[in-house]
Parts: sequence; C-alpha cells; structure tokens
Amino acid sequence: MMRAFVTFVLFAACLPAETPSEIARQLDEIGRVATVMVDGDAAKRIVTKRALESFRKVDPKDPWVASDNFDVNHEPYIQVKKTLIRLSKLASFPCDVNLWSPVEGMPGRIQIVIRNVHEMSQFWSWGVLHQDTPPRLKAVLETGKRVTVTDRPDMISVLAPVYDSLGDVVAVAEAVAQEKPNPRENVK
Amino acid sequence: MRALIFLSCIFAFGLRAADLEAYSEFARLDPFGVVIEADRPAGQPLSGPNGVVALRGARGGYVSFRLAARLSKPGPYSVTFAWNTPATNLTAEAFREWFHYTEPKNSYYPDALAPVKLPYRSQLPEPDNRIEKQTVQTFWVDIWIPRDTAPGVYRGEARIEGDGKKVSRRIELQVLPASIPEKEIVAIDHNSYGSEWLSSQYPKLRQRLGEKFFASDEFFGLIHSYHRIFYEHLGVFHQLGYGHGGKVGPEFAPELDGSGRTKRIKSWSLYDRHYGPLLDGSAFAGTRRGAQPIPFVYLPINPEWPASFLWWGEPGYETEFVNVVREMEQHFRDKGWTKTAFEMFFNHKKRYKAFPWDGDETRFPNDNRYFAEYARLLKKAVPPGSQVHFRFRSDSSWMMGQQFKELAGVIDFWVLGGSELSWYKEVPAMLRARGDIVWMYGGTPEVTESSGAITFAPFQTWIWGAEGFVRWLTVSPGADPWFRFGGGDTVLAYSGDRFAIDGPIPSVRLKLQRNCVQDLTLLDSLKTRKPFEELRAGAASRYNSSRYEDWWPPRPAAADLPPYEMTNATIAENSKPVKDLAARVDAQSWEKVRVWILQLAVGGK
Repeated sequence: MMRAFVTFVLFAACLPAETPSEIARQLDEIGRVATVMVDGDAAKRIVTKRALESFRKVDPKDPWVASDNFDVNHEPYIQVKKTLIRLSKLASFPCDVNLWSPVEGMPGRIQIVIRNVHEMSQFWSWGVLHQDTPPRLKAVLETGKRVTVTDRPDMISVLAPVYDSLGDVVAVAEAVAQEKPNPRENVK
Repeated sequence: MRALIFLSCIFAFGLRAADLEAYSEFARLDPFGVVIEADRPAGQPLSGPNGVVALRGARGGYVSFRLAARLSKPGPYSVTFAWNTPATNLTAEAFREWFHYTEPKNSYYPDALAPVKLPYRSQLPEPDNRIEKQTVQTFWVDIWIPRDTAPGVYRGEARIEGDGKKVSRRIELQVLPASIPEKEIVAIDHNSYGSEWLSSQYPKLRQRLGEKFFASDEFFGLIHSYHRIFYEHLGVFHQLGYGHGGKVGPEFAPELDGSGRTKRIKSWSLYDRHYGPLLDGSAFAGTRRGAQPIPFVYLPINPEWPASFLWWGEPGYETEFVNVVREMEQHFRDKGWTKTAFEMFFNHKKRYKAFPWDGDETRFPNDNRYFAEYARLLKKAVPPGSQVHFRFRSDSSWMMGQQFKELAGVIDFWVLGGSELSWYKEVPAMLRARGDIVWMYGGTPEVTESSGAITFAPFQTWIWGAEGFVRWLTVSPGADPWFRFGGGDTVLAYSGDRFAIDGPIPSVRLKLQRNCVQDLTLLDSLKTRKPFEELRAGAASRYNSSRYEDWWPPRPAAADLPPYEMTNATIAENSKPVKDLAARVDAQSWEKVRVWILQLAVGGK
C-alpha cells in the first residue's frame, strides 16, 4: 500500500505544472477530505492555555511577550500536523494544508495554528500570532461551506470547515498551492 | 547653534582650495568635510606638525587610513597614492566611500566601499552619489603588509589634483618586526538566509541570465564571492538553507528520492557545485589568506529534512534520517571534506507555527527532549571514528543554564545570547574544557553609532573567553541603501551591482572589524611573553576604562527564574552592566588599545 502511495507521489511529482483549474479541482478534493479527516477536538487542544492567556498581555517594555510565550501541547499538535501532511500529499503538485482556528476568548480574532513545509497561505501575515478574522475564513466558520479563494495572484486556496465531536465548526483547513512554485521562496 | 558652527569650524578640514588630508580609520567624514558627530573623539587629522602622516603596523596585517579630498568648487579632480620605494612589496588599495543618506538621522554616513584604481579621476559632486554641494570625497586606504616585508620605514605620497592645483601629503609607514598570527583568535561570523536575495541585489546579472540565473556558474560564483569577502576580512560566512517550515533550497541539500526505507540521495549535483569549492578551499584560491576550506557550514537538516515529519516518532523517521545522513557522511569523506565542521542546527521556532518545539532560543524545558533525540539519530548515522566533523549546534538564550547541564554530550557547539551569558562567568571555560565550541550572537551596530561600536563584539568575545560571534544577518541592506538608508544593522557587505561589479563590496564597518580582529589576534599571541590576565586587564582599561571584573557582573537573582517566566525586560535590566560597558566605547577606544598592542609587540610595556 505504502509503495503504491510513494509511487503515485513520485509519478505525480514528475508531471508538468497543472492548469489553475486542475489545481483548484485537486485542492477542492483535499478540502473535502480534510473536513472528514481533521480532528476538530484535537485541533482545539493544540495551543496551551498559558499561551492563549499571553495573547492578551501587553508589556511596553517587552513587545515580544506574547510570541515568547507561545506554546503548544505536543501530542495533539503532532497528530493534526501529520493529518495535514498526509492531505497535502494527495496533490500532484507542491501543496500545503494549514490549520486555522478562532482564538478562544478573543472574538473576531483567528490564529494560524499549524503551517507546513512550503509556508504558503493567502491569509497569514508573516510572524503574527493572531489576527483579525479575514472575511473568507469567517464565512467558512459561520456557514460550514467550502470555498475556493484566488485573492492573491498566483495562489489558490480552498478553505474547508473542520468539525468537533459536537458538530460545531471549530477550525478551517486551508489547502493552498501556487501556479508557479518558487523553490527558493521562504527559504529564510 | 553657535556651538554647532564652532564645531563645524573645528572639524571641517582645510580652508585652502584643493586639499588632501588623512584621517584615522575611525574618523568618518560627511560629504562636506565635517567629521560626523559620533566619531569626533577621533576626528583630528593624522598629519603631524611636519605635515607627514605617520602610520605603524605589524607584518601579516593591514594598516588603514582615510584620505579626504576636498575641492573649493565643483569640478574635476584626481587622487593617487604611490610608494617612493619602488621595490617594496607593500600594496595599497583604495576604496571610494559611498555617502548614504540615512533617513533616521537626516544625515550622510560613509559605509559602502567601492574599489577604485589609482589614480582615481572623477568630479565633485560625484555624479552617482547625487549630493548637491558635495565638497569632499573620502577614500578608505588599506595597506597590506606581507609577512616577508623587511621591518623599517616606508615612505609614500598621496596627491590630489583639482581646482587647478596639486597638493601632496607624505605618508610614512613603520613596519614592525612583529607578525600577526595567521589564524584569527575569534571567529566573527556573518550570517545569511537562503539565496533568493541574490537575484534582487544583482538585477543586472539576473536580467542577463534570465531563468538560468539560479543554475548558472555566475550564481554559484556570487555565493563564493560572499564567502571570499568575509574570509579576506578575517571572518566567516554562513548561509542557512532552509525555512521555518523545513523547505530546503535546491542548492543547499542533495536531492532526495523515495520514502521510508527507500529514501536515498538521488543527486549531489547542485550541492557539490555550491559547496565543493568551499569545502575543498578552491573557492579561495588567489586570496591573501590562501585556499583553505571553510571552517563551518550549516547542514540542511531540520525536522522536515531529510526525514519527513510525517514519520516523527515512527520507525520511518529514524530510517530516513539515518540512511540519508549516513550517505552524506560517506560523500563528505570520499571528497576529503574533513576540515570543516558540519553543523546540525535547528532554526525553527514554534511561534512560526510549523513545528511543536523551539529549535532556536529554546524557552520551554519540555523541548530539550527533541535535541536528545536528534543527537541519538546523528550518532547512529555517523560511523564511529569518522574523519568528517559533525557538530550539533544550539543557539541558546533563555534556557542556557539548564541546557549546559541537560544537553551535555548532546550539544557540542553553543551560540549564546550575550545578555544571559553575562550571568555565567565560568561557562566559556567549562564548555571549552569539555570540547564544546563556544560562540555568542547578536546584531551589528548601525552606521549612526560611533565607529568604535563595531569593535565591541570581537573584544567582548575575546575577553569572555569565547571563540566566535555570530552577527545574525549581514547581507541585507534594505530596500534602498544608497539614497534612503535605514542604518545598516543587517549589512556589512553590499552588492557591487551599482558599480558594475558582479560580487559584494565591503563596508567601512567590515574593515574596522577586520582590523580589530587582527589586533586581537596579535594581542592574544603575546601571552607567551606576558600573563594573559595582564593582557586582558591592560586592554580593558585602555578600551573603555573598565576592569576585567566589570565584564562579569554579579549573578542576579533573576538568573534563577524558570526560563519561561523571564521576560526581555528582565533580561535587559539584569544585563545592564555589560550594556553600560558598550556605551562607554567611543571612536578612540580601539585606537588606544592598538597603540598599546603594537608597543607590546615590539617589546614595550
């Protein structure tokens, strides 16, 4: 089974660049699977309570107080990250699947919780811990409907809802790829 | 205002028409002939009452000074320098100082050094620097004294022609019998990230080569030229080749193939083009220091390479890691790359959301277990007794106290935050005694600070008994360094693209740093004649009127806080004594130390 999987991945990697519509189609499929496969309860347990409390800390003498105290519970983090990596391997092109979740106790704020190897995202501003919820992500959290986003040139994302055991949308998976991947981008 | 006019009169040189004056390397001038405020302690011209500029230096090193050419009105001019003794093997190299308009201070500062051939002919204002009413152009002059130069006094003459006149300045260089050891006593490291920045800093080359840029010989030549410039300035150059999510740049790692037990190295092609000439030393052929392999290099190893994080904690992770790293060791051994320390170093931080632990500046004790696991994997991959030198490097700050103990035998290359290290006087000697390498890390002083500020890190490294200092980023000049400069705290070598040079050009600060390192190297070599403690104390008192004890303030109670409860404010408050020492350094500080070192070197006290 594994050999077949690897063979597929290697074969796929050798294929010429896909058209934007094919990229969007594959990302949509990944998003559909992500909704089923990503464990929303585990996702909610990733960021530690202490880290969440530090989000609200403001220290004029220490502008990095929140970042320095960012921490995660390793077990759920690794569990969910592995799922996201597996999902990205469904694509025949370089692809990341990121996890976003609302910040508990900070209405209107959202955080990227897990990123992946190519560091692609249409929504993350590099280095921020949390940010205002972009309307596209907000819509998915509110409606549970999967959407394709092409707001940034050369980048295609599919946003898919992630559910917990109560049936609530608790996070969003962003499956993202570039039409022309740059092998040196984000090597820094 | 009156004081300002007074100072300007004092520090603006020459009231004649065309004029040429020499200044200390630590006295930077603006394009109107005024010594910039931060350097005024060193601002007197070098020429004595007889008009002669007297210089002194040891063999195997550089002597540097600054020539300032002044015209009373716009027009053409030329500057030249020649030895009066034709047979001398001394060489003089001149660099035109670029005046960067620096926004935060609304002033001009010289820093980038464009190499020029003498005689240099141009006009004032210099057309490309575009400074209205520029009356002065300054030149950095390096005199290289080869080791086989006969001691004695060598005479030369610098000359300006302009305003219809010729003005000369006599230069006398006393070459001392002393020689500077070939191996520098502290490794000043210049860090960088990836390679994409080269395409933006060399737009002409990029345009000429188009899509072939990153696969071209010129691209690899550019990378090698950065290594060369830092090597020639007694430094080291590091390039980190992966991102916070584990993406590896194509030329920073061998190409892999397969997965799990079939994962193997598919191709060394780009890696060898990149690193081969650096690791066998051929990239440095023709340099003054000779062809030597680079002493240090980052490996591409990170949590996502060579093993996929998908398999973390499973047998596949160990298999992928061990098999690939074992192949790497074999390749390095086959190539004879046994003079370089290959560093396994983790740069990621959990705040950047790609991995669950901090590889860099670890703050949470729970993360130490990952280091232990990677040490185990590396040990399994590298055959016992391998001639290839692998080092496990950690850049440590918050937790260094715990990590020195918990990661003994795991980490053997420490790069330490200077603020926290000030609490651990015994640590550099303790770590070195167990065979570990000890460096420190930090930033780079901006051009707006005193010219002496660049000497602080090398001196602190030496006086603390560490072996190196990493300047975390040194090739990033900002969006427009030439006309809207931000201050330069992340650049010491600029792109030569503006001057039609396909390679980097040095800076004033890089050369000041080089000269400081060569002085320190000479000073350290004198411990065969004088107790090291006396050398340390003598240098500290001349540098900034400090005592050696001042460099290791009493350990504060805050040092015993759990690392995750410390704040940057806590650290700043409790490392203030050392920061105060830095604040006491001015543009004359290092010159005082140098004069003493040269006296000692010729047998004085």
